[in-house]
Order: sequence, then C-alpha cells, then structure tokens
Amino acid sequence: MADKNYYTIDPEGKLTCMKCRCALEKGKAKFLYLDNGFPVELPVCPQCGFVYVPEELALGKVLSVEKALEDK
Amino acid sequence: MKIEERASTHVYRQKRMFTKEELEARERLCVHEQPPYCNAACPLKLDVKTMTAAIAGGDFDKALGLYEKITPFPHLLSAGCEAPCEGKCKLCSLGEGIAIRELERAAIAYGSRTRSRSLLRKKNTKIGIFGGDLFTLFLAGELAKKRYPVSLFCSQTDGDALAASCAPDFSEAVRTATARTLSNLDIEVFWNTDPSQAYRQHSCQFDLTAAAFSVARQLFPEIVPDEAVMVSREHHLITGPTQGVLGAAFGAKKAALSADRLAQHLDPSNTRGEEGSVETRLYTDLEGVLPSLRIAVSGPDSAKAEALRCIQCQCDVCIRGCAYLRHYQTFPRLLTREIYNNVSIIMGDHMMNKPINACSLCGQCSVLCPNGYDMGEICHIARQNMVTTGKMPLAPHEFALMDMLFSNEEAFLCRPQPGHQQCRYVFFPGCQAAAIAPATVRAAYLDLCRRLEGGIALILGCCGAICDWAGRYELYDQTAAFLDNALAQLGNPKIIAGCPTCKKELSSHPGLEIAGIWEILEQIGLPEKAHPPARPVALHDACGARGDPRTQRSIRTLAQKLGCHVVDTPYSGDQSPCCGYGGLTQYTNREVAKKMTEACLERSDLPYLSYCMACRDRFAREGRESMHLLELVYGTSADHCPDISAKRFNRLRLKQELLKEYWHEEVDTVQLGFTIRYAPGAEALMDERMILKSDVIAVLQHLRSTGEAIADADTGLCITRARLGNVTFWVKYQETEDGYLVFSAYSHRMNVVNRQ
Ligand code: SF4
Ligand code: SF4
Ligand code: SF4
Ligand SMILES: [Zn+2]
Repeated sequence: MADKNYYTIDPEGKLTCMKCRCALEKGKAKFLYLDNGFPVELPVCPQCGFVYVPEELALGKVLSVEKALEDK
Repeated sequence: MKIEERASTHVYRQKRMFTKEELEARERLCVHEQPPYCNAACPLKLDVKTMTAAIAGGDFDKALGLYEKITPFPHLLSAGCEAPCEGKCKLCSLGEGIAIRELERAAIAYGSRTRSRSLLRKKNTKIGIFGGDLFTLFLAGELAKKRYPVSLFCSQTDGDALAASCAPDFSEAVRTATARTLSNLDIEVFWNTDPSQAYRQHSCQFDLTAAAFSVARQLFPEIVPDEAVMVSREHHLITGPTQGVLGAAFGAKKAALSADRLAQHLDPSNTRGEEGSVETRLYTDLEGVLPSLRIAVSGPDSAKAEALRCIQCQCDVCIRGCAYLRHYQTFPRLLTREIYNNVSIIMGDHMMNKPINACSLCGQCSVLCPNGYDMGEICHIARQNMVTTGKMPLAPHEFALMDMLFSNEEAFLCRPQPGHQQCRYVFFPGCQAAAIAPATVRAAYLDLCRRLEGGIALILGCCGAICDWAGRYELYDQTAAFLDNALAQLGNPKIIAGCPTCKKELSSHPGLEIAGIWEILEQIGLPEKAHPPARPVALHDACGARGDPRTQRSIRTLAQKLGCHVVDTPYSGDQSPCCGYGGLTQYTNREVAKKMTEACLERSDLPYLSYCMACRDRFAREGRESMHLLELVYGTSADHCPDISAKRFNRLRLKQELLKEYWHEEVDTVQLGFTIRYAPGAEALMDERMILKSDVIAVLQHLRSTGEAIADADTGLCITRARLGNVTFWVKYQETEDGYLVFSAYSHRMNVVNRQ
C-alpha cells in the first residue's frame, strides 16, 4: 500500500545519532494529536529509532495542524 | 490536582449554553442595531442617518438614491412632508435637531439620479386606478416602480394640472418636477375622464382596482375600508382616506403592499412585516457632544455643514471601552449569537474558540452598557460549556493552569505566625504579587506582623482565578476546597488580600471574612518607609475591583495619604478596562492582550499607579513607568519585567527564604549536579515561546539518563528532547566542561512516534 505522507524530510547524512553513532536516515514516523494520526517521513535513527522534529517543522506546519485540530 | 487534555476530536458531545428564550432575552439587551430616532420616526423608513452621512461626505448622488428609495415623487414628498423625524432627532435634547427636510431637498437639488433600468420583469397583474389625488398619484408611482402595468384615470387635463390639484400650495418648480416625474414613469394615463364613470366601464378589464377615496365614496357611499391595509374587501377596491403629503405617501405604500398580496391571492393582512414609524430602544451616549444650532441650507456647502452636525446615532459605548470588541469588530448581540452557534457545533471547525478565549471576562461592558450587557459572563459560560463537552482545547490555557498548580503545590506556603497557634488574620498576597514583587510581599507581611495584634498567618498561593477564567470549574472547586482546608487549619482567620482579584474570588467562599490590605493600611496608617512618587500619576483601577467601591475608595484614600498627586483618567473606577491579564487573555491571545494594555495606557501619558500586580507588570512591559501602590507603601521595587522562569523562581525563593528565616524550616534544594548556561538571546527566545528553565532542566536530565540526542553537522549543535506531560520539548545545546550551553529550545504538542 502506497503511503501518503504529510511531510518528508531527508537528513542528507548531516545528522548523527549520538547514542548509536550512526547517521539518521529518512524513515517512517507518525504524529499523534487528540486522537488523530498523520504519517510523515522524518530523520530517524536506524538503530534506536530516535525521530527528529526540526525546529522549522515544529514551529511551522506542526503548530498550524495542532491549532486546526484544537478547534475541531 | 490534575489538568487533562481533551481526549479526542472525535467525541461528539453537546450541551446547550442557553435556552432559546434565554438567548433572546440576552440578545434583546443589546440595542446596537436598533434604528436611530430619526429613522424610527419616519413611517416610510427613510435611512436618514446614512443619508446625512452621505451628504456630510459630499455624496449627494448617494443621498438622493436613498431618498428615492422611499418615494417615487421626491420633489413632492420633500416639499410637503410633515417630517416627524425632525422632532425626534437626538440633537433636539441639546440644541436644535438636524434639518432633515432641508437635507432631503439638498439631495434632490445637488444629487443626480443614476438611471438604472429596473431589473424587474413587468408583472402580469393589471391595475386600474381611478381618480387623481395625492394618494392615487403616489400609489400609481409605487405600483409602476414595482412594475405592475398601471392605468390611471383622472379628470385633470394633463400632468401639470394633476400636480397643481394635488399640490396647490407648492412652488411651480415642485409641480413641474412632479409632472415630469410622472411622465417618466411607466404609467398609462387617461386624462380628461370622469373617474367614477371610468370605473363602471372599465374596472372589469383589470385584475385589481384602486381609487381615490373621494371616488370610492361616490361609487359606494357606505364604504368603510380597512385603513391598516387600505383595502375594502367588500368592494375589492384598494382605497382609503389619507391626510397630508406624508399621509398620502404612507397610505400609498401600504396600499401597494396590499396590491402585492392581492396579486398573489392572499389576504392583504398576510405577512406584512413592521410598517410605519416604530419605537426605538436605541441608546446614544451624548457625552462630549456639544449643543449646536441649525445651519441654514442654501447650497451644497451649507448642506454638508448641516449634515456634519449629525452625530450618527448608534450605541457603541461598550465597543469604545473595550479593545477586545474593537479587535473583533463586533458588538455583543452579534458576538453572542456567533458564540452560541459555535458552542452548538458538534463536528467541524469551531471558528469562535479564539474570541471566546480572548475576552478578559473583565465585566467592563456590563458597566458601560446602558442595559448591563455582560459579554464576559457569556464568554465564561461558553468556556465552561466547552470544558463540559470536552471541546475546550488545553493548549491556550495549559501554561497558566500549570502555573497555578505550581503556585498551589511547589510554591505553596501556609503557616501561622511563629509563636501563634491560632491567628486572627491571614495575609494572602496572591500569586502574581509573589511572582513579580517578592520583596514587597515580604515587607508587607513583616509590617502586618509587626503592627497587627492577634497573629498573622501567611498563605502564598493562587486564589483559583486562573482555573475559574479557564472555565475549568472542577479544578476551581478543588482549588476552593484546598484553600478552604488550608484556612480551616489556621482557624479561619480574617483574610487580608493583597490583590483585588483574590479578594473577589475568595469573597465567593461562604463564611470567610475578607478585607484588602489597603483597607487595613487605611486603618493602621502607613509605615515609615512609605513615600510618594516624584511625579503625578494616573491611577488605574483593577478590573478585579469592579463593583467594589470600598476598595476603589480605600485605594484613593491611601494614595492621598501617601501624598500621591493622582490625576483622573477617563474610564476610571467601575468603568476601568482590563490590562490584558484578566480572563487569561495574556496567554490565549497576545495580540488582543497587547491592544488592551495599549488602550489602558492611552488614557494618560503619566506614570501609572495600580493596585494589581498583573496590571503593574503589563504596563511596565509596554514601556510605561509603572508602580504598584504597595511598592510605594513599602519602599520596595517589583522586579522589572521578570520572564516566566523568573516569576516561578521568585515564588519559590520567597517561600524558601521565609520558611528558613521565620519558621526555621530548612528546605532541601535538589542539586542538579551539572550547570546550565544560556547563549545570548536564548532566554528571551524561551520566554517568548513559553518554555521554562525547569523544562530545559528536565530535558537535559532525560538526556543524561538516556543519552538520546543527535548531532547536527551544519550547526555543530547537539539536539535532544523529552516528552513532559502533553508537550515535547527540544533543546539545542553544546556540552561544556561541567554541563551544557543552551542555544535554543522549542516545543510541540503533537506526539511523534515510529511507524512500521
Ligand atoms: S453598550 Fe454594547 S452591548 Fe450595550 S446596547 Fe450598546 S452596543 Fe449593545
Ligand atoms: S443626530 Fe443624526 S442620526 Fe441622530 S437622530 Fe439626529 S439625524 Fe438621526
Ligand atoms: S474584555 Fe471585558 S469589556 Fe470586553 S467583552 Fe470581555 S468582559 Fe466585556
Ligand atoms: Zn540511535
């Protein structure tokens, strides 16, 4: 089944997991809020699964979706 | 106590805010949309106010357009109208009312018609009118404008003769203009005919017939038409007696509406709506309006000048006072309806959540409004309703609610005065006082201990206003019970409140005696250190003291005793606006809160003297020299614009220091085991984003126990995160020898998880 992703960010090898000492990769993640879910692709550590939400994403798209959901 | 996020957006619960009757009763109080006095008095419903506004702006064409809406014969009507509007003009109560008829004439003289062809299709119902008088002339015009095929039978020889017989007293110009208007209307006129005879011969050719009343009486001497609708049902005839020019014009209007009903085979009394002049409930504040006399209208300029005297009557007293209503460009009746509808939405977007949460619940409107409209109460009920149905998002209020829990848990203090089992008093300075001015709180407490007999206990905490404002009534009840319990342990002493809002909130607890510290100081006098400000000051009354004349008076007395030179400002006392903190506006809508603060400060250029610490803080943040009365009384200064972390730190440190110094209780402070420093700008950024230093500490502690972080090669910074309650906090940092250097922090409420 083809996934619909609301957002995709490729770490392009610039991010390293400090715990596992390996590069983050584009991986599958999901945002959950007030009983709603949104599949996304974000930088994820292939070993420990750390999902990175960059500042611009948190203060931009994520915030606006939060606000929209809060008033549902 | 716990604060819970709403579980799901897919819970479809609903509860009505008001019954229909209650909603309507509330809405009725607002007279904003009631017609102005002049409009209401006009049976033809001329929009006088808009017309004068148009003339005042030099737009005579628009003014004429408005006037032509009410009559097919503007010259005739304006020449002869008895103008009941003029006597009702609000300005009559001050000086002379607006010369409305002169302005109508000016509109006709200086405006030009926009000849728009009627878009209406010609109707099928053929109407015959018998007899030429004022009533039938107006009626023919009204019906032609409605696009009925109209035939008029009259004894006069031509239009000039008809106009002359209708309006013998008017000028040649009026008569000529009237004849010209008639010839331009789509009316088939049969001159030189005997109307009664014509009726007998031709009435059967028409679907509807109308007649001058004199003709009707010739035809049917016993005729008694229903004057309310200008119809004789018995004779199937539209007719009726009228008096004067306005009477004829109004009779013709009623008759034309009856024609509409009859053409649809309905009873003429059917669904006519409100006709004629009405009683208006409008209220217009005349404060600041100077009496003036009429300006004789002799040309466009003098017409403009006369129109400019019109004060455009409307009720907007609450709007002028409230920055929130101005921000949303609305007025209470409309806003109430929108809020009511919003609350009734089961599924989908709730567009009014923001306005509901942006009102400061200050009650200023209820004082300003001539009918006591309390928009704040309605917003408060709406918030509670949303909490009940699970529709209230936590996000706008969570920070404030957590801050209240901090005040009543970690930073809470409740102790009798050392050496006293039972105390006669308890000092309750309020959470904001301890957060913003800890030194002042300390000085006040020591002073009270020194100068009052019977023991003074101390409670550092929040009165519960925060959760009350947020509409969290369960939390409020818990908080009230918690405080009642603390007070009971002290033996229910008399409360000395340091904040007017605390005084108000705690007054609602049954069985408690309460006074403001200002009232106590008024009795026991000022301490030695008290000193007046160097300059005159503007006194800002707290919205928490609305409806509390005792507090307002006492503050003024104290200020006077202090030697303050207090300058009066508009909207003082009960009418005072909110500083932007009340109702949690500061948290839910910074833009509106800022406008509220600015509106408060617009009243004077002087330094502001207040008696609520939140007001004091907000005014200082807007750059105004600002002082709390207790700062002057105790010669102590509040902190200058403490950030959110400092406000917490102040509360905690005050508690710890007082515990140590007066109750000799040691509080173990947790040693972090590492240091945190902040890069330039980081703390301001965190304050702006409502991220506390304690949040950053918790994230870094999480990092130390899990080692979870990433390194960003582009910036050379490390980034870590932790989920704390309903929020994920991210911290960008560099490791230092003994800890961390924090560059930035951000947060989001969404939870992020892995997915297969
Ligand atoms: S003061 Fe405000 S709420 Fe009251 S009648 Fe006027 S517009 Fe309506
Ligand atoms: S002041 Fe203007 S709006 Fe008010 S009653 Fe007079 S004409 Fe009408
Ligand atoms: S902010 Fe105050 S004055 Fe304005 S609507 Fe709300 S309660 Fe009324
Ligand atoms: Zn990893």
